[in-house]
Amino acid sequence: MIIEFLVNAVGLGALYALLTIGVALLFGVLGLMNFAYGELILAGAFAMYLFRDQPWPFAVLMAILFSVVVAVVSERLAFHPLRDADPVTLMIASFAVSLALQSVARMTVLPRTKGVPPESFLSHRIEFLGADVSVLDLLTLGLCGVMLLGVAWLMGRTSLGIQLRAAAEDFRMASSLGVKANLVIPAAFVIVGVLSAVGAAVLVARQGSVSAEMGLQPMLIGVIGAVLGGMSSLKGAALGGFLLGAATALLESLLPTDLIAFRDAFLFSALIAVLVVRPQGLLSGTKVRVS
Amino acid sequence: MKNQNRLVAAVSTPAILIGLVLVVALIGAYGDVTTARVATLALVSVVFVVGLSVFSGNSGVMSFGHVAFMAAGAYTTAYLTIPVPLKKSLFSDLPGWLSWLADVHTSFPVALLAGAVVAGVVGLVTAPVVARLSGLQSGIATLAMLMVTYNVLNSWTEVTRGSSSMIGIPRGTTAWWAFAVAALAVVVAWGYRCSRGGLQLRASREDFWAAEAAGIAVGRHRAIAWVISAMLCGVAGALYAGYLTSFNVNGFFLAATFSFVVMIVLGGYLSLSGAVVGALAVSALQEVLRRFQDGQFTGGSALPAGVADLIVAGVLLVVLVKAPYGLMGVRELRLPGSRRRAAEPAPEAEREPAHAG
Repeated sequence: MIIEFLVNAVGLGALYALLTIGVALLFGVLGLMNFAYGELILAGAFAMYLFRDQPWPFAVLMAILFSVVVAVVSERLAFHPLRDADPVTLMIASFAVSLALQSVARMTVLPRTKGVPPESFLSHRIEFLGADVSVLDLLTLGLCGVMLLGVAWLMGRTSLGIQLRAAAEDFRMASSLGVKANLVIPAAFVIVGVLSAVGAAVLVARQGSVSAEMGLQPMLIGVIGAVLGGMSSLKGAALGGFLLGAATALLESLLPTDLIAFRDAFLFSALIAVLVVRPQGLLSGTKVRVS
Repeated sequence: MKNQNRLVAAVSTPAILIGLVLVVALIGAYGDVTTARVATLALVSVVFVVGLSVFSGNSGVMSFGHVAFMAAGAYTTAYLTIPVPLKKSLFSDLPGWLSWLADVHTSFPVALLAGAVVAGVVGLVTAPVVARLSGLQSGIATLAMLMVTYNVLNSWTEVTRGSSSMIGIPRGTTAWWAFAVAALAVVVAWGYRCSRGGLQLRASREDFWAAEAAGIAVGRHRAIAWVISAMLCGVAGALYAGYLTSFNVNGFFLAATFSFVVMIVLGGYLSLSGAVVGALAVSALQEVLRRFQDGQFTGGSALPAGVADLIVAGVLLVVLVKAPYGLMGVRELRLPGSRRRAAEPAPEAEREPAHAG
């Protein structure tokens, strides 16, 4: 029982941490609070729907491809010309990108919610450390955990990661020391594309359906987690997202049912309170990079 | 002579804007049914966007949460004007402490005022948050306010009917009512803009720290502007409810927010004329696109739903890239002759703001 709950809570925490990093990375590197993030997830989810009859790993690969392409194209068309704009203009632009991508989805294949039949191997339940847990929960935990470790390795140990962190710290200084903006910014979008595709694969498996509006909820989770954790550091953001996920799992099993409907109101009120009292985030010690 | 010129300069902008609004009202009053609907809703948008611009235009802080005030006004109108017998059956499960809501009834003009007051109270409660934040933090916080409002309206089913539509509101809004309120909104917004407080707030928009150093209580002025703009947006919501006679909570969420953001950005969010021009232009554009999507220009074959939204999003992106301060920039509509003479008291109008965050 307790192991089952832990796997569920930690899995949800890992998923939320993944979603949060996708928001925090772009915010750190180019000051973009990306409201089109949900539509990157939508692109991945759409691939999962399109290739639902293929083997699952192949569908996930296609989801990564779709999300990365959408991320890079949106950077090229919308955010590249606005590179020197202030954060609020970028945020409005990302609203526009979000609406445009949603409209494209609605125009073409997703005027209505489409079901994605669950993969048979995901609905199995297996013995794990003496408890009975579903493969889906284990997969959420495993896949998101691996992605988080991958991001940590990429940011900490590779040249690209160091350049990305330098750009997040001080973009102008980094570029005068030889960090190429035209390399790091698209690279950041590619990473975000991969992250959102993995998030999409997990979300589709959990929800069993795909719709044009499905990106809203994960995007909001990413934004809340990033603000709670402190937007200036990826570690803080990941931790914020993780705690948010674990707290959500906890709330859902503890809150009385008639209050669960108001969960979002509580979450967003907490978000406002954090912004007012500690704009640099609950978990971050460094100063905030917001204008 | 000079004083007279200054007076002409001071009243020429609101006079031109009211004239513009009057033209739309005339179209609404004497046009056919569809035209009347588009024109009246365009006037409601003018009220809303002018209200939004009282805060955003003067403080330079963008808000994504004003639709919550519109919702406050609309729900207030619904509670006050739906006939009592119908209301009793619509809200049969009101909790005890709110049961008086089923019995109150007022006329439409009183409901308009009440909408403004209720939205103003919501604004007053949230003002301390806005007073403390700027730039992106303010954007996220105002969006979070909208999320809280939406969640409560959508989930508190006994009181707000949740996701079911609010129905049976008597049609109180006419083109003339919408015109009167829009004209009043323009006068209020212009009056505030030219007032001492408005000038101080605009100074803080140009340079926050310089304004603070000069002794301007930026937070307090932001809060004042926030409450005034909340009240105007509340009236817009009341007009909206009184015109459509039924509305749904989904009408006060991201789609509406986006559409108003397009209006104020396209017009130019630093200028009152920009707010009016943007609201009217985008309303017209949306109607043209709706007809385009329904196939009225392409020989009757309807295009898939979403084409109109896609084009609006594209227009917004192009505006953000090519003209980040919109059609009007920081200029105001003025009589041609008075521009040069009026230029001297407003050196601010000569340059783009240093930072709009």
